[in-house]
Amino acid sequence: MKKIILVLLSTVLMLSTVVGCKQANSIATIAPGATTSVYVDVSLQKVLDSKKFILGLDDSFPPLGFRNDKNEVVGFDIDLAKEVCKRLGVELVIQSIDWAAKDLELKSGKIDCIWNGMTITDERKEAMNLTKAYMNNRQVLIVRKGDPITKKEDLAGKKIALQTESSAEDALTAAVDFKASLKEVVTFENNANALLDLEAKNVEAVLLDETVARYYIETNKKDFVVLDESLASEEYGIGFRKDDKLLADKVWKTLEEMAADGKVSTISTTWFGKDITTIK
Amino acid sequence: MNINDVIKLLLESSVSTVQLFILTLIFAVPLGFLVAKGRMSKYKIVSVPVDIYMLIMRGTPLMLQLLVVFYLPSIGFGMKGFDRIPAAVVAFSINYAAYFGEIFRGGIESIPVGQYEAGKVLGFSKTQTFFKLIFPQVIKRVIPASANETITLVKDTALAYVIAVPELFSQAKKLNSTHSSLTPLLIAGIFYFIMNWVVAKAFSVTEKKLSYYR
Repeated sequence: MKKIILVLLSTVLMLSTVVGCKQANSIATIAPGATTSVYVDVSLQKVLDSKKFILGLDDSFPPLGFRNDKNEVVGFDIDLAKEVCKRLGVELVIQSIDWAAKDLELKSGKIDCIWNGMTITDERKEAMNLTKAYMNNRQVLIVRKGDPITKKEDLAGKKIALQTESSAEDALTAAVDFKASLKEVVTFENNANALLDLEAKNVEAVLLDETVARYYIETNKKDFVVLDESLASEEYGIGFRKDDKLLADKVWKTLEEMAADGKVSTISTTWFGKDITTIK
Repeated sequence: MNINDVIKLLLESSVSTVQLFILTLIFAVPLGFLVAKGRMSKYKIVSVPVDIYMLIMRGTPLMLQLLVVFYLPSIGFGMKGFDRIPAAVVAFSINYAAYFGEIFRGGIESIPVGQYEAGKVLGFSKTQTFFKLIFPQVIKRVIPASANETITLVKDTALAYVIAVPELFSQAKKLNSTHSSLTPLLIAGIFYFIMNWVVAKAFSVTEKKLSYYR
């Protein structure tokens, strides 16, 4: 008998630690006695009251969100978010997450947004509240300054490099004629090595994300040039919970204000050498 | 980042791993003991739910249990739920309690009836019989299997990366991709080896101390 009580007691104790305070994000009843609940969007108010805006990211995605030598999380998206939070009067909380679990993290309220160079796709538009595109990312060709190459036709019969299993490789596979015109495509494990090969004059161009290309030129001060035309393009957006319309709208409006007064341009130039955002 | 910074970062994550490991053991071992008792209970109302609990815990992936413990309270029930490290400790504890439960049950049931009869003869109460006669013998029997489980636990802490709990293996992986080098992973491997060596040694010392009849 005593043992049963012991087992039951410990089970109850364990279960009671699971019950936390109810998180009423968006549901409120109109008045006592009313039989229906009205949907009230308290997403923005919650962030303003708690003075915390939690940004979820995969912290190994330079230049948008990554760790520097001091192991701090930095990046273009981080700088944008810091400025937005400053204008809203809240603290930016940076939460590194497992990218594969990002939907769970967002839905469960552990993070308030996903802001990490996330490509806008139809599936993601269904699953979450995506803002408009704040940046276009294109697969571009980067060449040495001074070389007589200005368009992709100039690369016929030449060698280019790219990162293996990247969206650059996908884009090249789709560009059948262009790929057929090349002498050789050299693949590397990461973009850094591909760019080293360009510097060593082993290849004439590297195909990679425009964001990474411009960041590389800007931080390493290399004499490289990004060609104007691109092979594929995608747009980056910020992901919020489907119900958090007020919060998403407020963040986007703040970004628009930052674009209007030039702050976005300043941040973009620091990371990429010029303003490549699409916030209007 | 030079090798010293890498080692420093990995050492810091090892501390998180050790914390996870110790907290889990503190909860899982007593709970495992309760589970064993529940499983052996002659009241079906106790033994059947415990049996189902053990089936679920041992039959589903630990990573899945981590995700459920961390996300389900918020997504499914609108509750605040646990923070990351408490969620990991809870998930690991209830999972390992199932395994420890079976180990302890095997140990307890292997004690011959004669020991219980001896207790009766000596006038011990049920509790006294258990703690003075049965329990010391059970400990000796469960040490090898428990050592196995504990060593597995040290390595299983790496699964906590899926709910973004800072720990050694995910930190090593991140350093590996940032620096295109295998060195952080090798260093992490050495740290795990050292931790498990300590665990194995602790168990074997305990076993020696308890073999007072040989």
